Amino acid sequence: MLIKLAWRNLWRNKLRTSIVLGAVVFGLMGVTLMVGFMNGMVDNMLSNAINWQTSHLQIHQKSYADDPDINKTIVQGQELAKQFNSLPEIKAWTSRHLAQGMIASARSTRGVTILGIDINSEVNITPIATNIIDGQWFGIKGRNPILVSSKTAQRLKLRVGSKVVLTFTNVSGDVAGAAFRVLGIFKTPASAFDDNHVFVRKDDLKKLSGLNGDHQIALLVKNDTQLQSIKSKIKQQLSTENIIQDWGEIQPMLATMTASMGSSNLIILVIFVVAMGFGIVNILLMSVFERTREFGVLMAVGMQKSKILALILLESTFLGLVGGLLGVIASWSLLSVLQKTGLPLTGMAEGLGAMGIDSLLYPQVSSSDYLLTFSTVVLASFLAGLYPARQILKQRPVDAMAEKH
Amino acid sequence: MTIKITQLCKTYNQDTDFPVHAVDHLDLEIAQGEFVAVMGPSGSGKTTLLNMLGGIDSPTSGKVCIDDKNIIELQEKDRIAYRRDNIGFIFQDYSLLPVLTALENVEFVMQLQGHSEAECRQRATDLLIKVGLADHLHKVPAKLSGGQQQRVAVARALAPSPKFVMADEPTANLDAKSTAELLDIMQQLNEQEGTTFIFSTHDPRVIGRAKRVIVFEDGKKTDDKQIEQKHSGEIKQ
Repeated sequence: MLIKLAWRNLWRNKLRTSIVLGAVVFGLMGVTLMVGFMNGMVDNMLSNAINWQTSHLQIHQKSYADDPDINKTIVQGQELAKQFNSLPEIKAWTSRHLAQGMIASARSTRGVTILGIDINSEVNITPIATNIIDGQWFGIKGRNPILVSSKTAQRLKLRVGSKVVLTFTNVSGDVAGAAFRVLGIFKTPASAFDDNHVFVRKDDLKKLSGLNGDHQIALLVKNDTQLQSIKSKIKQQLSTENIIQDWGEIQPMLATMTASMGSSNLIILVIFVVAMGFGIVNILLMSVFERTREFGVLMAVGMQKSKILALILLESTFLGLVGGLLGVIASWSLLSVLQKTGLPLTGMAEGLGAMGIDSLLYPQVSSSDYLLTFSTVVLASFLAGLYPARQILKQRPVDAMAEKH
Repeated sequence: MTIKITQLCKTYNQDTDFPVHAVDHLDLEIAQGEFVAVMGPSGSGKTTLLNMLGGIDSPTSGKVCIDDKNIIELQEKDRIAYRRDNIGFIFQDYSLLPVLTALENVEFVMQLQGHSEAECRQRATDLLIKVGLADHLHKVPAKLSGGQQQRVAVARALAPSPKFVMADEPTANLDAKSTAELLDIMQQLNEQEGTTFIFSTHDPRVIGRAKRVIVFEDGKKTDDKQIEQKHSGEIKQ
């Protein structure tokens, strides 16, 4: 009967209850959208970074990161690479020959990292082959083809078929250079990456550098939850002169952002819940005070104060349950649409691109996020009932019944 | 079961220069089965007396003993339980729960006692039939007339099988016909089930039906007379 009474009391003033529920639902939609947007942004940044730049794991010669000298190739790289084929946890791997150099066109010159790639295995690691916006992907034929980004093409006034000259320091410390012809123009989500990377075939670059080793091995694992165990496994087989790093070590800022997502989402949620809690307290105070005499009568006819407390807390909890449930359903519906269509942020494309984020964002809200939001709303509603209940319970029945509300 | 009041006082504004003695050193005894009207002008202390008899207000001094148990000394929780099991209340404004139907309003107080749902349903239905509301069991108070609501209140007061029913001006908002019908019901219940009714009233229609009339003025009992009833409306001292 107490549950029935609380539920019906909730709907005594339909307009007031609907307004509170509306506030909870819209607030919850806002919070969920915000959380989804943040999650989507970080997820997108992370997946772009892994897809285009860091992969899951990278192996280098130990001091290469601090001093990217062309001579610092991976020690026993060939032998190491052979072992990856026998590791079932590894989805794909590729080795790269890198050089820091200059790209020059007839119009301009820029400093770039030249990525000498294995054209067969690279496609399993980065989606570069499918992101050629003009021209085509490498083939085995042709002399010194090069892929440049649209940004570099724009800066150096290049188009498909244009000739450029790459210069860099070779293994002997001399300046080596050769003419390359633009085979294709690519575009990645990260404008900073596009700004200073060009792709050439590994063999072409090796010929020019006079060096047979690789500077980087990039690996993708099948299940990223096993990342650390695979990393340890490879580390055991690694020469002490080499180093293996996961994406978090290669891009610590990204790792920090990912790790702090939970906290920032929680802060957003807490701010919303506190504001909502005050709203519910206010509504419940009104609802309870206008029924002061009724509570007095209930006490008079023998309802224990604990049951009156339970009645008020049930009413406030029902408010949270209904608001939370409607809010979650509405948020889920909205996000289901946005997860299909994406959230276009073309106006912010340049800024997002600088952070390696796509301008079409897909908000991400996990079921645990929904559960946390829902539980927090219900808990806050429950707690919001305590103060109004206390105000009623401290009254004597005769005083409560004397109220004229 | 007897209510015995000894030197009962209730003073408002006690610490001011103008204390108000709502009940002033009252001694009174009401036995089981009585049909008592406490009459007096507005502000004479009738409602305060009933509230203290019912244990919903505390006196400034004195005792309210029911079968030698001073209900004033009971802990709040025990006093609520005592009220629930022994005292029924009927209020001037009916004070029904607007979101519950007539049947649920009556069942509710029985459920507070811990009776089973079936038991509550059976007794609540019987009582509502007894007060003439067989066709209105599932109506909420807003769909009932004032007289019908007060009958629900009577059924609610009687549902927990109380020893005493305190009725604070129960007919104040009712028309003559409803008043007569309500008094018939209460009189019948008093005679058949031996329930003690104590009314505060200044309605002559209620006083006309009472077996005992206590006159109250300025917190003091000025008269207390037993009345032999011949029939409705005609009294003989």
